[in-house]
Amino acid sequence: MTAYILRRLLGVVAVVAATTVLIFGIVHILPGNVAYAILGEFATPSAVAALEVKLGLHDPLWLQYWHWLSGLLHGDLGQSLTMDRPAGPVIAEAVGRSAILAGFAFALVAVGGIGLGVHAATHAGRPADHVLGLAQLIFIGVPDFFWAILVILVFASMLGWLPATGYSPISDGFGAWVSHLVLPVLVLAVGLIAHVSRLTRAAMLEALRSRYVLMARAKGLSERRVLWRHAAPNAMLPAITILAIDFGLLIGGVVVIETVFAIPGLGRLLVFAIEHHDLPLLQAGMLVLTTIYALANLAADLAYAALNPRIRYTASA
Amino acid sequence: MPGWTHRMAEPLLAIERLSVAFPTRRGLVQALQSVDLSVPAGGALALVGESGSGKSTVVLALLGLLGRARVDAARMSFDGIDLRTRAAEVRGRRLAVVFQDPSSSLNPALAIGRQVAEPLVIHGKLPAATARVQATELLAEVGLPRPSALMDCYPHQLSGGMKQRVAIAMALAAHPDLLLLDEPTTALDVTVEAGILDLLADLRARRGLSLLLVSHNLGIVDRLCDRAAVLYAGRVVEDGPVPGVLGRSRHPYTRGLLAALPRPDETGLLSPIPGNLPDLTAPVAGCNFQPRCAFAAAGCEAPQMLTGADHLVRCHRAVALEGASWPAPAPLPPPPVRDGALLVAEGLSRRFGAVQAVDAVSLTIAPGEVLGLVGESGCGKSTLGRLLLRLIASHAGSLAFGGEAIPNDPTRSFRRRAQIVFQNPDTALNPRQTVGTILRRPLEHFGIARGAAARTEIARLLELVRLPASYASRYPHQLSGGEKQRVGIARALASRPEFIVCDEAVSALDVSVQAAVLNLLAELRQSLGLALLFVSHDISVIAHVADRVAVMYGGALMEVGPAAIVLHPPFHPYTQALLSAVPVIGRRARDRLRLPGEPGAVHPGEGCRFALRCHRQLGQVCLEQAPPWRDLGDGHQIRCHISIEALQELSQGS
Amino acid sequence: MKLFWPGIAALSLIVLAAIIGTWLTPYDPAGFAVRLRFAAPTFLHPFGTDEFGRDVLSRVLSGAHLSLLIGFGAMLVSLVGGVPLGLFTAFNRGWGGTLVLRVADLLLSLPPILLGLLILAVTPPSTLKTIIAVGLVYIPIMLRLTRAVAMELLEEDFVQAARARGESAASILAREILPNAWPPIIVECGLRVTFAILLGSALSFLGLGPQPPASEWGVMIAESREFLDQAPWIGLAPGLCLCVLLVTVNLVGEGLRARLDPSHG
Repeated sequence: MTAYILRRLLGVVAVVAATTVLIFGIVHILPGNVAYAILGEFATPSAVAALEVKLGLHDPLWLQYWHWLSGLLHGDLGQSLTMDRPAGPVIAEAVGRSAILAGFAFALVAVGGIGLGVHAATHAGRPADHVLGLAQLIFIGVPDFFWAILVILVFASMLGWLPATGYSPISDGFGAWVSHLVLPVLVLAVGLIAHVSRLTRAAMLEALRSRYVLMARAKGLSERRVLWRHAAPNAMLPAITILAIDFGLLIGGVVVIETVFAIPGLGRLLVFAIEHHDLPLLQAGMLVLTTIYALANLAADLAYAALNPRIRYTASA
Repeated sequence: MPGWTHRMAEPLLAIERLSVAFPTRRGLVQALQSVDLSVPAGGALALVGESGSGKSTVVLALLGLLGRARVDAARMSFDGIDLRTRAAEVRGRRLAVVFQDPSSSLNPALAIGRQVAEPLVIHGKLPAATARVQATELLAEVGLPRPSALMDCYPHQLSGGMKQRVAIAMALAAHPDLLLLDEPTTALDVTVEAGILDLLADLRARRGLSLLLVSHNLGIVDRLCDRAAVLYAGRVVEDGPVPGVLGRSRHPYTRGLLAALPRPDETGLLSPIPGNLPDLTAPVAGCNFQPRCAFAAAGCEAPQMLTGADHLVRCHRAVALEGASWPAPAPLPPPPVRDGALLVAEGLSRRFGAVQAVDAVSLTIAPGEVLGLVGESGCGKSTLGRLLLRLIASHAGSLAFGGEAIPNDPTRSFRRRAQIVFQNPDTALNPRQTVGTILRRPLEHFGIARGAAARTEIARLLELVRLPASYASRYPHQLSGGEKQRVGIARALASRPEFIVCDEAVSALDVSVQAAVLNLLAELRQSLGLALLFVSHDISVIAHVADRVAVMYGGALMEVGPAAIVLHPPFHPYTQALLSAVPVIGRRARDRLRLPGEPGAVHPGEGCRFALRCHRQLGQVCLEQAPPWRDLGDGHQIRCHISIEALQELSQGS
Repeated sequence: MKLFWPGIAALSLIVLAAIIGTWLTPYDPAGFAVRLRFAAPTFLHPFGTDEFGRDVLSRVLSGAHLSLLIGFGAMLVSLVGGVPLGLFTAFNRGWGGTLVLRVADLLLSLPPILLGLLILAVTPPSTLKTIIAVGLVYIPIMLRLTRAVAMELLEEDFVQAARARGESAASILAREILPNAWPPIIVECGLRVTFAILLGSALSFLGLGPQPPASEWGVMIAESREFLDQAPWIGLAPGLCLCVLLVTVNLVGEGLRARLDPSHG
């Protein structure tokens, strides 16, 4: 198991390393002049030249990459152009807010998605299953930004129960903090709950159709025990894979939702960097995001291995 | 065991007029039609039938686990408890079950100990620690080594035989009165099966268990049970004491089954049952075996009753046919084996990762000869078959065919002359192609025939494998298993090969169908002068088809020679053990050999790879020195340290 | 799924509306009418008008093809890119196949939206680029799926039989693999379209897709946010249309799955 964890950790390092190349490559090799991209098409040639010198754009690509990489290795994420601040602290602040948003949403997705999926599977063919199936079908088909607009319209504009947009740190009061989080968290979670519950239902149904569940029933166990002790542990494995996939979708959701609800998190920061052509900030933000995603995948892999005796007892071999 | 009869006071299990129907898209499938069965306390009843007979449905019906099926019975009682309404009360307690495939019936996510202890905790209300101790004792009782270490293992860490022992221990944990065994050894090697059967017989005697054994294998029925009911397409056609049912069968179907069953001590053609199972969505009122029956006559269309005193039969001609035997096919002339060598392999080897799947195998096959290759699962026999066809590359050794050296990447001419027939008829044919397309491709690929000529050739090929020409337009899913296998044979024949590897070609088929396919292969080999490598785990089948036999263990050949000499009687200790493990009707089990250890357990290092499991192991010499090939004359070669004289002496004794 | 044929019918209607819809409405989707600004839905303007007095229904109809284009275009990109590469990696177990596989794994280890953001951030956005960016996200998924299906089929006995005849790789591919591989690939395509439309509209919403005055629905919703309190219909109309499209595509995708994938209950 230790060897397995070490191997997976090495995998994360490799992914992040390869991502630096990819991000750098796309930013610097795609057609379009970086300085123009930053300054816009009405920039004067002298301004472009000055920026090119400032960014070291006349150096060979590998040297530019090396400067960036060695900076990263020393903990220097680069300098934001628009804010004229080191990107590191800016990103760190933003990541904290995004983590709160994503954390609550993900918890909701995991609990709600798996719970509803199991419920649908155990009531397969009954009204509860049909209702859930229909709800899933519809909810997967509502884009989160449209959800956002709907709930803002209803709960903020029409009913006035909750603030429409913005973020309130917990230091400014718990109530305000919560009230600003409720809508974005719900909006983030709802589509993913539909997705996770749909796939969990399929995984659970497969487990329920297995021979070992037939065996468990033949052993005269109660339906509850058959369900939770025999079927569920096996259905949890695909569920973990599903959750890992949905974490990737959740990251996409965070970018959109932070933009709609004006929450100053990492997603909003990335969009800001794109809008203001702040390429160093963009590169750094994306690298952080990829690292988080790689770590989340690592966590999923480890959870999968911990629950799966096939990996747990052969990984060391 | 003896001394009880059908009419004893109150049986432990009594089923009367049990009917089960499954709603399907094609309509209502009548899986069981008015089945009567009974098992007295302490008795052992076998429920015999081929696939589609409904025998497993009986087990699920007893357990009340049939789900959406329609179950209807006049009586289903277990020790006075009405199973129609109260199955849940006894299920897993007094009524325990062991299913066919232990790999899928044990929960992969739970430790062995938890699964075995579960009935003790849930039904026995024992505290966890006590239950664990008792579960460990149960593992020891079913003959598992190091039971306390096994408790914390997971199913994937165990071999198939060990898993089935765990499943039996799990069933025993509930202290059942009746054990339902649904094909308990079908997924296992014969050597492992023999051990499981011993265990079950032993448990029955020791614990006073009653058994209901569901099986297609008449040999194990004879080994384990004292009464047998034969099920055909949802109906019991014969029911009586085992010696009577298997020795003096009264129903034509039972006779047909026995005639179709290959035995390791017999050679020659088997007697197949023609035709297929009837359509269960539209059961006929009269005898449903009549369309396939060799003895069908006027009056078979009328409903038949199960009649008789102790040995019951559902056939109005039973008395008239007393003593008649199922018609045997006309014997074939002697095989057309020619001198010389068609195929010569020298030191062929193949590794997969760290596993030496095939280790320096040398063999020769003459034109028109059938070489039977037999061994347990994982011994490398299928790999060897594919090496001989150059379907997988060899890492060492050479291959010659028709006098020419065949490299790892062979010529088209070799591909045309050497073909293959696969085990599983369901995956052997491309599901998206018609039979005609499947057969046309090799004709075109090898430039044998095109257009109208190809159509004529396809018709000829279908005729060769006894299928109507109209089958050319059918898709594989419209064929039965046996028919698919015939198409697979026709495809191999299309290129007019001289050599065919039959890789477990009849293993997936029911006995009656298997006999027909085996006979077909024998006839084709006769008329076309084909050489075959017949790969099989089933030594009985090998005995019926092979001119010569090669016995394989752990990637190497142990013995090669003429079938008549190798098998009757066996010389090599491993061949002896393999033959002895086969449950044969009428042969008592006491004198049978039992191999310790798992199939394919290879003794590492220089010594004999079979040494660890060998009952005749001589000690150091076997463990440390590679056994020499000894020539016994008549082309019979043996790889063993035991002297020829000693082997001959031992084989006379067995 | 019993809603397969209704789904097909609804999808056909939407496609039809996207093609001929703009000729059916009496208004120019780009026609400004200052006096009609923020008109609530009426019989003449069923979806109302926007901040420039443009008819929202006309705009929604004229933008319909963009959502369809992005969804199905991206699916096509992933199909054209992923299936051949997947087959290549299934057949080529040497360094070539391994390299392709490693690159695919790297792309898979990026959050899906990131690739789109990255590509669209550095070059001026356009519909075509959105299609490519979204399609690129799904190429590795399609590659993995195709590879898995092909590898499984390569082990089947009927493929072994073809190999025993000495058939060429191309022949095995065309006769034995592809005819059996397409059902799971089609099923995946059906499910991918939903996600492609979602991702594409999200990128458009962020301003990284078709640019105004294009009436892509994500763009329209983004523009409507300013006037949410004042004239909610400007955003609700394209939003509801997007939902209807997604649910329809979803129905068809699930229907395909139920029809072609027997293992799925």
